[in-house]
Amino acid sequence: MDIFIDILGGMSALADPYVIAFMIGGFLVGTFFGAMPGLTSVLAIALLLPITYTIDVVPALVMCASIFMAGMYSGSITATTINIPGAPSSMMTAIEGNALMKKGFGANALGHAALGSMIGGAIGAVLLMAFMPIAAELSLLIRTPGKFSLVLFALVVIVIVDKGNIAKGFVATLLGVMIATVGIDVLQPIPRFSFGTETLVEGIDIMPLVIGAFAISEVLMQSENWKSNLSSTLEQAKDLKIRRRDFLPPRAEIREIGLLAYLRASFIGYGIGILPGAGGSMAAFVSYAMARSSSKTPEQYGSGSREGIASAEAANNSMCGGAFVPMLMFGIPGDPTTAIVLGVLVINGLQPGPRLLENQAELLGPMLGSLFFSALVLIPLTLWLFGPWFIKIVSIPKGLLYTGIAVVALVGSYVATYSIFQMSLAVLFGILAYFMRKQNYSTVSMLLGFILGPDLEEYLRRALSLSDGNPVVFLTNPDSLFFLALTALFVWAILIRKPKRAMPRTESGEI
Amino acid sequence: MADREPLLRTGVLLPLFFLIVTTVYLAAAFDIRSQFAGAGEMSPRSVPILMACLMYVALAAVFIAEFRSPTQDGPVRELLRPLLVIVATAGYIALFRPLGYWLATLVFTSALFAIFHFQLRRPLVFAFYAIAVTALFYGLFAGIFGVRLPTLTAGVF
Repeated sequence: MDIFIDILGGMSALADPYVIAFMIGGFLVGTFFGAMPGLTSVLAIALLLPITYTIDVVPALVMCASIFMAGMYSGSITATTINIPGAPSSMMTAIEGNALMKKGFGANALGHAALGSMIGGAIGAVLLMAFMPIAAELSLLIRTPGKFSLVLFALVVIVIVDKGNIAKGFVATLLGVMIATVGIDVLQPIPRFSFGTETLVEGIDIMPLVIGAFAISEVLMQSENWKSNLSSTLEQAKDLKIRRRDFLPPRAEIREIGLLAYLRASFIGYGIGILPGAGGSMAAFVSYAMARSSSKTPEQYGSGSREGIASAEAANNSMCGGAFVPMLMFGIPGDPTTAIVLGVLVINGLQPGPRLLENQAELLGPMLGSLFFSALVLIPLTLWLFGPWFIKIVSIPKGLLYTGIAVVALVGSYVATYSIFQMSLAVLFGILAYFMRKQNYSTVSMLLGFILGPDLEEYLRRALSLSDGNPVVFLTNPDSLFFLALTALFVWAILIRKPKRAMPRTESGEI
Repeated sequence: MADREPLLRTGVLLPLFFLIVTTVYLAAAFDIRSQFAGAGEMSPRSVPILMACLMYVALAAVFIAEFRSPTQDGPVRELLRPLLVIVATAGYIALFRPLGYWLATLVFTSALFAIFHFQLRRPLVFAFYAIAVTALFYGLFAGIFGVRLPTLTAGVF
């Protein structure tokens, strides 16, 4: 209870105009990146990661949270208006939203998407704040063998959710773990894989990996398809007249969807968010599929179901809250965005875990508050203020956009440590990630392997050291056994059991 | 047909690259010496060796899948623009300190605009946007966040 009060107390930092400026700025950046096809909130946070070196941790975390929430919501904008999801998590919204758009109810569809995102995002944030103290208590019970099995569970789930490319997912994850072993050993003061250079003794920082894998590789991918193929779509959408009053969904439609549908979608999204590697796309897909199977009007699905939009959007925004739970409690990111937020914490010397919540609630409170405030206030406010001009976002020329991204990525990777080496490393990782993406290796798996690798090694070695090298300790320890059983259950459920329907896969590797 | 696909394709070359990297990594792992080792303790090289072995297994699965159902490469000319971007980026990194932020970024921005065919037929607009992008991000990094960026004079002297 004390922790909960500390979190609420920490939210008072949101009253600081400096922090509010970062929250609103982050939300606008997230909206832009989420709405623009090809750009994602992950890329936005990746580009802003170097900036977090130069600002305080509170505004940095507040900005990351608002980018995350905005990115999840704003994918629905272009999904609805031009049938191109701005973010992978809005694929279901594109089906229903664009069908409504073609019928002349585009503003209504955007309104339902915003309302669903608003409710889902706010519920996800409240659930996060409510259950964090309980999660913190539970995490204290987990001993070293259990921690190893938990990290192993996370890595296995990350690999197996990449269905159809499990071997490649495995390669990408192992590559991430291998990159993380460069530098000083996790338990002994011994340099590894430095190849006689002093620079590599320090290890490889998360920043060049993130910038390379998400920003540089994106510029390279886009340079391949440099001709914009949106011109005809934009021509059709140019004549659209969107009025602000049409954004407000009528009460009768909200009643028809029902409070239960919003709540169910929010809980599904939150639950899926807790799973490592799952992400917003899976949350939206599962919620949409469940809403469709239990709908009173299933015939509307595919031709403009407002319930479908609400279910998908509430779930993907609620996922934001869930994704923070394993990241804050165990240092296990629920999705790529929280993986980079974890980087922000580590850069600022904060170690995730139950003690973080106990001792640094004043730092986390504003971030959790930013999630809630972004969902409840900034989503509807942004739609109201900028909604009529949303369509203009995609008309920015590719050359200008990706040149800007390249400059921010490279200068950003320099300013973080004033190092040309870091810049070069970012480019090398970018080239590697470009070829990996072309061959369907998940760069997200590589990043998560990089983040979780040191924990996996440390817990494995500590657990074996404490048990005199007896590996049976992983089976005799109840919490370890629980996570190993959970791993087996997931392998069975996702790989062995016959799947009912395949998940759509995105270019970035996210499902 | 699998046997008609060229052997030198990205689907084969990329895992081959990983195979070479893993072999170098494994060789380097055997050179790691532990300072101390208690009963049942894993040494600093144990996990890297384990990871390398797992990588070999995963790569074997990738190779088998690749030879059973080959992934086709796009036309070679598809790689031209990414290659140009890489060359421009390498040049930018090499010139960033000697030329300073302003000049290096202006040249880099112009190069990327040319690669993306942005405003090539309107030189004045091209120049305006190149200067605007350079100034915008100078304002962001140096102005708002107070970062010290390299200057031409610092690079020359």
